[in-house]
Amino acid sequence: MAGGKQNKLSREEELLLQDFSRNVSTKSSALFYGNALIVSAIPMWLFWRIHQMDLYQSAIVFILGTFISTYLVAYAYRNVKFILKHKIALKREDAVAKEMMKKLADDKKMTKKEKDERVLWKKNEVADYEATTFSIFYNNALYLVLLIVASFFLLKNFNPVVNYSFSVGSAAGLLALFSTSSKV
Amino acid sequence: MAATGKVLVILGLCLLPILTSADTCLAPQIKSQTYSTPEAIVSTETVLIAEFTLTCKNSLKNINLYADVGGRLIPATKTSEVNKYQISITDDHKKLPAGRYDIRVFDEEGFALLRKAQRSGESTDSIKPLFVLNLNHSGIWNGPIVQTEFVAALAAILIWWLAYTARSKLLA
Repeated sequence: MAGGKQNKLSREEELLLQDFSRNVSTKSSALFYGNALIVSAIPMWLFWRIHQMDLYQSAIVFILGTFISTYLVAYAYRNVKFILKHKIALKREDAVAKEMMKKLADDKKMTKKEKDERVLWKKNEVADYEATTFSIFYNNALYLVLLIVASFFLLKNFNPVVNYSFSVGSAAGLLALFSTSSKV
Repeated sequence: MAATGKVLVILGLCLLPILTSADTCLAPQIKSQTYSTPEAIVSTETVLIAEFTLTCKNSLKNINLYADVGGRLIPATKTSEVNKYQISITDDHKKLPAGRYDIRVFDEEGFALLRKAQRSGESTDSIKPLFVLNLNHSGIWNGPIVQTEFVAALAAILIWWLAYTARSKLLA
């Protein structure tokens, strides 16, 4: 990208690029990492109060586990969001277009192209919002299932430190792995 | 000499009732406390404990006492306090079910009679104990039927299933 006229993208093209890129905006990235941190910190409480681990003695394991898990969960959020966004955009396309057209119908000054642009932008926004929130919900639910099953059933006879490391590691790892699958 | 001997025997005979009565607790007064195992989660066996303080009218102290609990004969343990005794029974949870236990407490004399009756295969019910303690065992609690973590796992799976079906609908 060395600049020049050829590389200058139109607004529509930029929107399209944004629509199809895996990159997320700073706002939704902050939302992802904030949520991932909260969800990753939940096991800390579980192992502190239920599995009777000492909070200060195991602080290093807890902090390390929380950060690794935060990263993996945020990664899963992004992947699931990316997959969902297009599907949601297709599903909501007609409804969004209808609503926007109704809204813009009175505006006689606006050109057809401009209206289409507005619809595209709105569609992108709706799909982005829905995909973001649903991705957070879905991944949180799956993460907690994996964590509870691993810590209470699969690893219940191990000592708490091993239990914590493996249950958090496997829950976050599997979550990240599942998020890469594009199948239903 | 013979006269002296006779006098001694008569004296002895006169003193005998007093001496023997000294071994029997007259009008026993009991202050008792009982305990029974309430749950089976941390206890491997059921324990029944009765602790009592005995006060006799003839101020007897630290006599030997024995207890008969449903055919089990147990000596009552003397504690460091004067006239305070403890009786404890330990057995499997099933062998000590919930209910009222009559702890029949005997002194040496009564215990001898009890053993004699047992040896000859007679009923021991007719032998009068010194006193009877009642112990109510309200039964043991075996913990919740469904474990908490199972409920947690079930709830988590249910929520995930809802999320999964919603996702499938979106991706369809």
